[in-house]
Amino acid sequence: MNWVWRSIKGILITAVLFFFLFPVYWLVTTAFKKSEAWFSWPPSLVVFQPTWENFLGSEGEFFGSTTTAIATITPYLRNSIAVALCVALFSTVIAACASYAISRFRVGGMGFVSWIISIRMLPPIASALPLYVVFSRLRLVNTWWALIAAHLVFTIPFSVWILLTFFNEIPRELDEAAYVDGANTWQTFRRVVLPLSVPGLAAVATLAFIQSWGEFLMALVLTTGKEAQTLPIYLGRFITGWRIAWGPLAAAGLVTMIPVILFSLLMQRYLLRGLTFGAVKG
Amino acid sequence: MILPLLIVFIGLTLYPFGYMIFMSFFRYSLASWEKPEFVGIDNYREVFRDRTARSSVDFTLLLLVTAVPLEILLGIGIAFLFRDSLGEKVFRSVLLIPMMVPAVVAGIAWKMLYNFEFGPINYFLTLLGGEKISWLGTQFFSRLGVILIDVWQWTPFVFLVIYAGLQSIPRDVVEASLVDGARGFTALRYVELPLLRPLIWVVLIIRVIDALKLFDIVYMVTFGGPGSATHSYSFYIYKVGVSFGWDIGYASALSILLLIAITILTNLLFRFLRFRETLEL
Repeated sequence: MNWVWRSIKGILITAVLFFFLFPVYWLVTTAFKKSEAWFSWPPSLVVFQPTWENFLGSEGEFFGSTTTAIATITPYLRNSIAVALCVALFSTVIAACASYAISRFRVGGMGFVSWIISIRMLPPIASALPLYVVFSRLRLVNTWWALIAAHLVFTIPFSVWILLTFFNEIPRELDEAAYVDGANTWQTFRRVVLPLSVPGLAAVATLAFIQSWGEFLMALVLTTGKEAQTLPIYLGRFITGWRIAWGPLAAAGLVTMIPVILFSLLMQRYLLRGLTFGAVKG
Repeated sequence: MILPLLIVFIGLTLYPFGYMIFMSFFRYSLASWEKPEFVGIDNYREVFRDRTARSSVDFTLLLLVTAVPLEILLGIGIAFLFRDSLGEKVFRSVLLIPMMVPAVVAGIAWKMLYNFEFGPINYFLTLLGGEKISWLGTQFFSRLGVILIDVWQWTPFVFLVIYAGLQSIPRDVVEASLVDGARGFTALRYVELPLLRPLIWVVLIIRVIDALKLFDIVYMVTFGGPGSATHSYSFYIYKVGVSFGWDIGYASALSILLLIAITILTNLLFRFLRFRETLEL
């Protein structure tokens, strides 16, 4: 009986892993396929001769595709990095200040905290349109700033949530000791609490980076050209056309995906905590 | 210290929100030069007459009654399946991938898988003796396709949360139930699941809210087609408000209705989040 149960379990686990990993596997392998192999029957499940063509470009234009290489990716990559870094920085600073105030002085209490969560729940499409109108009046459409501001709305609630649990774990006695030594609130925060929560700050910054990096809708609405468009938009534009150049597209997808996967594996624990508003300690 | 946060949120959420309520009573399109014209609740009345809006609501509801429960059940199932199995830590990290891959990239991967002529899914189907399926060509299969992607993306989230919850159940509770003679499924049914119930509610509501906002996948994989079969509600707002017509007034009315639904759900969520514990308020 036991071995039957165990082999059923083994099969189930394999099936589960296959289902969840195969799409990723397919994307990664396609990125290294030669152009003949993008459209082949039977589909090539294994890549025997990996090629860098899709990343670096090759001779001969492929009919119906916009480009054969992702050499054109550079401006978008630059935009993505700039926007995501700024979002990470601003959102961490703003969230750190706010969560310290909430944690130590209970500013706003329950109502305020609920409000922050409900902002995380806002549908991006609902705020994208009014923001577009606002930013176009300020002549900020198609700039980094518009995107950074729009992304902050989604990253800050998440960050506040993770940092709150962090600050709460730091004993209040430390703050009090600092006050006794004559430090004011700001000094206590900077010299005592912040150094103790470096791992939390790192987690928050990384996760804000990830969120901004992969965000699509805001970028779609608020940017119009390659001065500010980010990688997801670049990918979205690739997919038009009747025959899509799968290789370069997959290669570009891979480039977009790699930092996110790396960072999220590093920050696993905090990720869950932030996503569920502390319902899970992770 | 809370000021920067207030500035960001008031400037970027309250103001747009107010603007939207205001605009939802006007006929206003960015594509024309006409000044906004007050039309009362016409925009809202229009929502109930609009066929495409109906079908986008239908599809979104379909998503809620199929994808979300499936995610919850699978997530719980997988959590119990992987518990105490060899290499569970590796599995956990690996299953994080679908959830974290930017939706746009996931869309590309699935679009390749669904390809009619050369896609691997159709290849596997022919291996099993089936027919090739036009995944993105018919209403039934394109809807199924989007649902499948959603399940692929978010089951891991449910799994990870439930798994973390399972591990936080105190050992002695489980041992006590063992002493009392609860074995296998009995323990699961009467001891562990009830303990997980609040957590399951939290995940469920978060998933429902996020499913209402589905956009990226639809945009990348089906672009709402064929016809309007896979217009999710958000996608429809996008179409009305941005890609076809810049009709701010009508799009605002649609958004307000979505906001109302989400606000109700969010309030429900607050009941299950135990703030006082986590915040020490």
